[in-house]
Amino acid sequence: MAFAFAFLLSPLLVVAGGALLLMLAEAFTSKRGRGDHGDRASGLALGTTVVFAAGFAFSLGVWLGDIEAVAGADALAPWIVIDRFTIFFDGILCLGGAITSLIAGGYLPEHKLDRGEFYSLLLLSTVGAMMLAAAGDLLTVLLGLETMSIGAYAMTAFRHTSKRSAEGALKYFLLGSFASALLLYGFALLYGATGHTDLAGIGEVVKVGGTHSPMIVVALVLVLVGLAFKISAVPFHMWTPDAYEGAPTPATTYMASVVKAGGFAMLLRVLFTCFGDKASMSWSAGWPPMLAWIAVITMTVANLIAGQQESVKRMLAYSSIAHAGYLLIGVVGAMHSMPQASATVLFYLLTYMVSTAGAFGSLVLCGSRGMEAVSYEDLAGIGRRHPPAALAFSLFLISLAGIPPTAGFFGKWFVFRAAIDSGFYALTIIAFMNSVVAAYYYLRVLVFMYMREPAAGMTTSVPMRSGYVTAALLLSAILVLLLGIAPSQSLDMAIKAASIFGSS
Amino acid sequence: MIPAQYYIVVSALLFTIGGVGFLFRRNVLVALMSIEIMLNAVNLALVAFNRTLQNAQTGQVFAFFLIAAEAAEVAVGLAIVLSLFRLHRTVQSDDVALLKN
Repeated sequence: MAFAFAFLLSPLLVVAGGALLLMLAEAFTSKRGRGDHGDRASGLALGTTVVFAAGFAFSLGVWLGDIEAVAGADALAPWIVIDRFTIFFDGILCLGGAITSLIAGGYLPEHKLDRGEFYSLLLLSTVGAMMLAAAGDLLTVLLGLETMSIGAYAMTAFRHTSKRSAEGALKYFLLGSFASALLLYGFALLYGATGHTDLAGIGEVVKVGGTHSPMIVVALVLVLVGLAFKISAVPFHMWTPDAYEGAPTPATTYMASVVKAGGFAMLLRVLFTCFGDKASMSWSAGWPPMLAWIAVITMTVANLIAGQQESVKRMLAYSSIAHAGYLLIGVVGAMHSMPQASATVLFYLLTYMVSTAGAFGSLVLCGSRGMEAVSYEDLAGIGRRHPPAALAFSLFLISLAGIPPTAGFFGKWFVFRAAIDSGFYALTIIAFMNSVVAAYYYLRVLVFMYMREPAAGMTTSVPMRSGYVTAALLLSAILVLLLGIAPSQSLDMAIKAASIFGSS
Repeated sequence: MIPAQYYIVVSALLFTIGGVGFLFRRNVLVALMSIEIMLNAVNLALVAFNRTLQNAQTGQVFAFFLIAAEAAEVAVGLAIVLSLFRLHRTVQSDDVALLKN
């Protein structure tokens, strides 16, 4: 029984064990040979990628094995729940982690930041995200959330000589802790109102007494606001652009991919398990209208502001806020067709994750030491000076804009179709118009890369050369194209993963 | 014995004080302390609720875990504030505004 459970838990254990091993390796090699500092750091990047690849392989193995039939799978229930939802998230979180560590392997040495702590933080923070996906109790939600967030704060502040990095980290930390406090007070009220801390137990009580108890309503509002902070939905998004811009780009990649996916895993699990009954999910008495409004203003505000940015990195930050809005439409759609709509959220997360990680990776590749590419001007003429980087960047931006034949198209297509099937016509039309607006600022980057030349006398950013970043871009590009051409298999996996929420 | 509801009222008051302090004070250290007050309100609520629900000691255990997690968070937070002060020579969040639209 213990063995069977270790098998189910293996993705998490592999990443956690790998993190500890790499931390030891880093500690024991740090004294010798200052000269080969760069080699050591890139060795760590490679090791981290291997650990994430192993985590991914184990997730795949567990997925293909018969999870439901494993005896003793509930040994840690309700604290940690291992089902297809958990394993699906384990897989995509490891994928995002792997791409991030490859980007870090190129970025950190180039910008003289190659200290080994980054990789330990990256691995352990991802363990937190994986635990968040597996959490079946408020206590494990808290632990997973804090593990993930603390790592992310530290990574944001990683460039400790940079004022911007410190400022971004401060805003991220303050608003992140504030959000945690709101969420936790909501949890405490839920515990007081229901007497349970396990999500399923809370769900049972809410189902019976439900939304009539004022304490549960207050708790629901606090939890929703806390979750909205964590996934950076408007109007709780103030920290996002600053943290994304100030952080070293690999940390930004991590926030946009792994932290966002972890946040959505938490949101889906908590909302659908605690507040998944008919009354809480109805338009008149439940949370869907609140989330629908958040989705609408998130998309609209983020897209309007993104179009005015001069910095590409900041534009991508607003784009990640906008994508949280599209994802929330899928969550609202789950009101009528639970497994289908939430499956589209999972699939969208996967497509969004590879596209945005690739886009940040391309941005890394377009700059070099002291000359990071941040503004549109920096990218002028990259299409001629560095065709492969420009090509990769274009692919990822097209995917973020949702133009076929890329992953982003099917991500949007499935979410919008699920929303239409649930009868949310107005919401779908607003989302569609938003993605048209969004195409403007994504394509503007393409215009600068291919049709503009840098202004005379301006110092242009020189693209860096790095095998790691190239590997990260290749990996994301293959996935973007694969998901864009043959999405059905991963959609089936997402449907299986979401089916744990049952149909209401 | 003081009824548990009194504790819940105190906890709600503390939480509000912390929240208002966080939103209206511009000193980073005060903001950090406000967050601590909010988290302590959570702890108080958990322990007080535990007394009304005598089925298990879940609330108390939860509070212990929360204290540990808070400590870790504050450690990182203070490090960030220190590095901010070293670079900016200020702990007023209004003076720290390089990142703007």
